[in-house]
Amino acid sequence: MKAKRNLLLVIVSFLLVFSLAASPIAAQDTTTLRWSIEGITDVVSLDPARATDAQGFTVIGLLHAGLVRLNGALEVEPDLAESWVISDDGLTYTFTLREGAAFSDGSPVTAEDVVWSFTHALDPATGAWTGPYLLSNIAGSDELVAGETTELSGVTAVDERTVQITVKQPSAYFLSQLTFGPSKVVSSAAVTANPDTWDQAAVTSGAFSVQTWNRGQGLVLVPNPNYWQPASQISTLDIVFNQDSETAFQLFRTGELDIVGGAQNPLPAARVPEVRDTPDFVSTNALNVRYVAFNNLLPPFDNVLVRQALAHATDRETLANVVLDGTVTATDRIIPPGMPGSEAPVEGLAFDPALAQSLLAEAGIDPATFEVTLSYGVEGDNERIVTVLQAMWQDNLGISVTLDPLELSTFSSRLNDTYNDPANGLQAYYSVWGTIYPDPQYFLSQILQTDVGNNNGHYSNAEFDALTQEADVIPDDLARRIELYNQAEQIAVTEVGWLTLFNGQVNVLVRDCVEGVEVTGLFSAYVVPDYTALRGCPAS
Amino acid sequence: MSRTPPNTGIVRLHTPSDIAPAAPIGLFRRLLRSRLSVISLLVFALIVLLAAFGPVVYTQSATRPDYAAINAIPSAEHILGTDNLGRDTLARLLSGLRVSLIVALYVETLNILLGATLGLLAGYYGGILDVLVTRVADILFAFPGLLLAILVTAIFGSSVTEQFGGIGRLMLVAGSLSLVSWPLMARLVRSQVLVLREQEFVTAARSLGATHQRMILRHIIPNVGGIIIVASTLDVASVVVNEAVLSLLGLGIQPPDPSIGKMITDAIPYLETNAWQVFFPSAALMLIVLTVSFLGDGLREASDPQAR
Amino acid sequence: MLRLILRRFISLPFVILSVTFLTFIVSYLAPGDPILALMGNQRDPEIYARLRTLYGLDLPWYQQYGEYLGGLLQGDLGLSFRFAQRPVIELIQGGLPVSFGLGLTALSLSVLIGIPLGLVAALYHNTPAERLIMALILALYAIPSFVLIPILQWINYQVYLATGWSLPAAGWGRPEHWVMPVVVLSAASLGYIARVTRSSVREVLEQDFIRTARAKGLPERRVRWTHMFRNAALPILTVIGPAIAFLVTGAFVVESLFSIPGIGFLSVQAIQQRDYPVIQGTTVILALSVVLMNLVTDLLYSVVDPRVRLEG
Repeated sequence: MKAKRNLLLVIVSFLLVFSLAASPIAAQDTTTLRWSIEGITDVVSLDPARATDAQGFTVIGLLHAGLVRLNGALEVEPDLAESWVISDDGLTYTFTLREGAAFSDGSPVTAEDVVWSFTHALDPATGAWTGPYLLSNIAGSDELVAGETTELSGVTAVDERTVQITVKQPSAYFLSQLTFGPSKVVSSAAVTANPDTWDQAAVTSGAFSVQTWNRGQGLVLVPNPNYWQPASQISTLDIVFNQDSETAFQLFRTGELDIVGGAQNPLPAARVPEVRDTPDFVSTNALNVRYVAFNNLLPPFDNVLVRQALAHATDRETLANVVLDGTVTATDRIIPPGMPGSEAPVEGLAFDPALAQSLLAEAGIDPATFEVTLSYGVEGDNERIVTVLQAMWQDNLGISVTLDPLELSTFSSRLNDTYNDPANGLQAYYSVWGTIYPDPQYFLSQILQTDVGNNNGHYSNAEFDALTQEADVIPDDLARRIELYNQAEQIAVTEVGWLTLFNGQVNVLVRDCVEGVEVTGLFSAYVVPDYTALRGCPAS
Repeated sequence: MSRTPPNTGIVRLHTPSDIAPAAPIGLFRRLLRSRLSVISLLVFALIVLLAAFGPVVYTQSATRPDYAAINAIPSAEHILGTDNLGRDTLARLLSGLRVSLIVALYVETLNILLGATLGLLAGYYGGILDVLVTRVADILFAFPGLLLAILVTAIFGSSVTEQFGGIGRLMLVAGSLSLVSWPLMARLVRSQVLVLREQEFVTAARSLGATHQRMILRHIIPNVGGIIIVASTLDVASVVVNEAVLSLLGLGIQPPDPSIGKMITDAIPYLETNAWQVFFPSAALMLIVLTVSFLGDGLREASDPQAR
Repeated sequence: MLRLILRRFISLPFVILSVTFLTFIVSYLAPGDPILALMGNQRDPEIYARLRTLYGLDLPWYQQYGEYLGGLLQGDLGLSFRFAQRPVIELIQGGLPVSFGLGLTALSLSVLIGIPLGLVAALYHNTPAERLIMALILALYAIPSFVLIPILQWINYQVYLATGWSLPAAGWGRPEHWVMPVVVLSAASLGYIARVTRSSVREVLEQDFIRTARAKGLPERRVRWTHMFRNAALPILTVIGPAIAFLVTGAFVVESLFSIPGIGFLSVQAIQQRDYPVIQGTTVILALSVVLMNLVTDLLYSVVDPRVRLEG
């Protein structure tokens, strides 16, 4: 009996603690915005050159401005530069900085700061990869990255307000590349004063600056009064880190957050049905594609018939609409809807088990002896999807499929092996590709040109290479570029360079009363086109 | 060391027959005296039978998706409903039970062989052996076992999977984890032995010239049996759960094969829309833990030399 | 007793050396590499090779380990790979108090509730009260935390819907943030402690000296407190020591699902990212706390039972 009393005591005290600790939600008004960022415990760095995570770039977009930025329709528009001129050969860009542009500490943004920022992003001492990767078209970048020089010859300050950038090749997407992370302008004085810790301080060039950075928890941002646009109406912007998307959802539904979800970590699929019809739910096409790649140097995947057989045996509609309940969109091409180039049609390989079987027979393969090992990194919904693929291929072709789950870091190192040593690499793998600037080049040239760094499956087609290489360097004629890319894409789709499955949706929750936030399909989902229009929710 | 005998020190000397390990038949008969033990034994036997013969009798596929019945509630067609790919939950539960039971048995065997033995020897003999065992245990306790599991799966994972299938792979990983989980068992047993070593009947037996072998077999082992049984029966739950956590990282059972823990983690996102899928495997886990634990208690009492 | 403490401290460097060496060699051999983890999907072989050189990852393992040890001697745990140039010591300093605070609160709670429950269960052996306690404790113990958490969150949401008031679903910084994580963390260790207490006490109760004491007609209370509890205390103490290490590492689900800036999650993430300096840093800290806790429990042994002789 004593035991029962003890237990009762325990329960009563728990309830007591529960009721004492319960608290009213902090009062809100239109000047406060609480914004969750999922999938991380902390941002890697607030230095635009050093950040590596999509989530960090979302925050950096709020803090640091570049010469140019993207608007809600993903078009390039002026930011710190009020105008620019591109030379006729497409090799020289001359930017004029806004008069009166200043950092949050009041010091002016000069052409020297711009030059310094680009140099910082490419400097090997910074130890970053995004700069060398995205800014490799700038003349002199290779020498700087290799440590042969400390100056970036391609970026010069003509005068206090004029910056000139020289590129190696004409490129239609160079300006788009300048909207992203490593091209943001930082204060050379602030960085050189504290090279390793300056990002913790508040000197920024964008609409907000850092008030406090609670390590492992979040950031409190306040408006930067010196930004060239009038200061934001939002007086406190709370950035909250949540490792788990479900946790963020819980906080949203108990009224503690205003914005939840992102392109990398959308709302949990299991939660979509219950919020789908609420005014807070926002959904847009993500500019990414999920795919299966085959090791084209390992028989029998070197045979195009085999790859086509697997593609025809895949019922993408069932996968996207039934298994994933319409939270994604089935696709049979590479370029996602919403990207320039997606308006030109491509003929995909339709679901057709009979055709699939005959293709396999034509390739001279006996299904009974054909064994495929499908590898994938264990994360999110991946396992459900490969399990469905396994069942589809086994049922429709009569082959046997083994699933090979890999811990994430092991998966990326196995991809690396597959690139360097294809004979001992993976047979087939399931993965995702998303973009950070909206140009077809990022979806075709970067992944399927012969031997480019991300072509882990070693797909190779001379005609594809020629078409994409030609399109990459056309500076302005978008229609012509799209025509070329479209021909290239058709080749890659017909030959199954990638077996694409579906495009993700950016499913997020933005409280209906929040104003001024656009949800896009980019790598870092959100765009705030005009900071002066940003509003939080009124007190309830 | 202080050798003051406790003030209650009337020492009753044990004759060897007094505390000889119980004969198996007598043990079983004594076990059956407790109603709780009998019930636990029956339920546990039923679980084992289900795991062994269930998949033979119930022929629905545990791995075949049914796109028309995703996350279905229990019905005539799917007695326990289906999971998030429309796979039959009862079929998955039956083969999952088999996987989880085998893994639990295997890990606990390793744990007892390694941890209990080392702990016993360290506690009994003391000296350099004790120093060595406790220091190594300290080191391994802090060692991140996850790393070891990653390494082991990467090196041996594919060849073992090829030869022994999903369970083989799981046992490989679980075995590597036992390497870093035995220290707790060792410390528990060691501390119990430290107490026993100073108990009157042990000191008395020693003064009567009993050999070490005899001391350990007759006096120490029967008296640490209880703590070993309790610790390992409790551990069964964590083994089943840890296996699920390992699969979250791609180190556990190979999909599409089920295990109890995996079924729970797969179903958790749908807790509020289809609680059945969390309930059934969790109930199975709880039933295993409860019966194994009560059975362990029963065994301990039945084998206890003084409680006859 | 002083000698025991002294000897333990002498063995400390050996423990740390072995821990760092084992951790280093296993993370070095495990597939995956920090630069690839950093670069995600985008992979440029040239940039990759350059970064490896920059981070010293192209050096042979003994040189990498040597440099790490050199830094360690000066109290420098190195720089994190993932969190660009941040000192590991700073990352750990931030998370350690949080995890330990949470762990110790949960531990105290489970000791304060678990030991009495175990005692009651042992003393009222074979009664319905005992069975009820044991069944409840075992059920609580068998529910994995990743099941318990969503259930609590659901209850919390229902409370919110009904009253407009609720506990914070996640986060850190205010006292009410502690409630749910502590409840979840205690649930499991409470069961474990209660169970071990019960069986240790049962074990002692069946020993001869208790029977003898009873036969001698000593008052039951004295039998229980002076003989039984003192002898049962040892195995119970043993559970408490490692339980702390368990709470720090085992906090990983709880820290992740409640967005708590602790060290448990930091270390798991570092393992997944192959962030060697952070893996080593957290392991060293954990090893230190385990050694320290074991020393404390060993000292308590000899306080509880002076006859127990300890080496080492």
